[in-house]
Amino acid sequence: MADDQSHDFGFDEELVRRLSHLLKETDLSEIEYETGGHRIRVARQINVQATAPAAPAQPAPAGGEPASAPKPGPEATAEQVPPGAVTSPMVGTVYVGPDPNSAPFVQVGDQVSEGQTLLIIEAMKVMNPMPAPRAGTVTQIMISDGQPVEFGEPLLVLE
Amino acid sequence: MTHPARTLDLPPAYRLRAHDALPSTNDEARRLVRAQDAGHGTLVWAQEQTAGRGRRGRSWTSPRGNLYVTAVLRPNCGIGEAAQLGFAAALALVDVLGDLMPQQTQVRLKWPNDVLVNGRKVAGILLETVVDSDGTFQALLLGLGVNIAEAPSDTAFPATALQWERAGRAIRPEELLAPWAEHFLVWTNRWEQDGFAPLRRRWLTHAHRPGQRLRVRLPNREVHGSFHDMDDRGGLLIDTNRGRERLSVGDVFFAEPGAAPGSGQG
Repeated sequence: MADDQSHDFGFDEELVRRLSHLLKETDLSEIEYETGGHRIRVARQINVQATAPAAPAQPAPAGGEPASAPKPGPEATAEQVPPGAVTSPMVGTVYVGPDPNSAPFVQVGDQVSEGQTLLIIEAMKVMNPMPAPRAGTVTQIMISDGQPVEFGEPLLVLE
Repeated sequence: MTHPARTLDLPPAYRLRAHDALPSTNDEARRLVRAQDAGHGTLVWAQEQTAGRGRRGRSWTSPRGNLYVTAVLRPNCGIGEAAQLGFAAALALVDVLGDLMPQQTQVRLKWPNDVLVNGRKVAGILLETVVDSDGTFQALLLGLGVNIAEAPSDTAFPATALQWERAGRAIRPEELLAPWAEHFLVWTNRWEQDGFAPLRRRWLTHAHRPGQRLRVRLPNREVHGSFHDMDDRGGLLIDTNRGRERLSVGDVFFAEPGAAPGSGQG
């Protein structure tokens, strides 16, 4: 069941605002609320790196004013994929290192070269090492070791 | 001394790369794929591995006398479907052991592709992909390890060696490799023509019975339940007290008879 973004789902700004407040108040990272077949999820990254400002939710219109700095704190996400994100090509289980006792392949702040292994995704008992699609710096890691991931789910950000 | 590869009669679909010792046949196969030196059907075979490994970096005890081979496969499909070749490899070994082992030997499969002889693990399959940086699926590396002469004694699931389960002279690794390669070719051809259904049917005749209690260790939890079925893509369907779950990862253990039924998930 995918998050529904069809046209009849009126965007309830007030609800998002209330949930955002609730997030901050409770120090949770995510709230999901479902009613009448509509589902809304409000999430925030607790370990946001100070060096890596999150990208604006909407691309700035061409010729318009420069994108304003993102609001700190909660941010409504409808499974948004941040720019520079490396997404999962499959449904599976993600591993951050070659085995449970080894250091992770990459950490926030690491420079990686194209083709370097970032993560392993296991699906149907097949180990799939995920190569870096390009050279860059890892600015954010969105998953934890052993976590199930969906197709298209952002795994980490490479800038 | 003549290398055993000289006398090995493999179907022409294969190209054999025989080594005395390698750190890991899967690693060597990956190196060959990266160097564009391993077409579909390349078999990397070593008499021993100095850094043999299993799933999640677990070491795979690899002394001389056992079989260590990695098949480089470049099937005309996506990664998800290619995973089904692991079943073809396990079924091929079941066929071979049917011929090789004494008649009363119990040969079983443990989801997805562990081969058990008389209730103990005798072979493991390690599947890894080689993917380009642009996401192109290059090859599936199918590593097969069969305990012929030796088996480790300290594994989570009890292990055995073929030689311990039969009387008579020692089996040489090449005596297993050649017929396995034959049967594997038959199963992969079958899979290419008719899909996964015939593999699934055959697998079910050698695997779990419906209702059999299983415990599956996942990366961050454990699932207890009873075996329901294997679905048409190779997923394990297990009935838990929270309902039916489909698993695509995890290590299967057989629950002890006295274990509480449906004791949930850890």
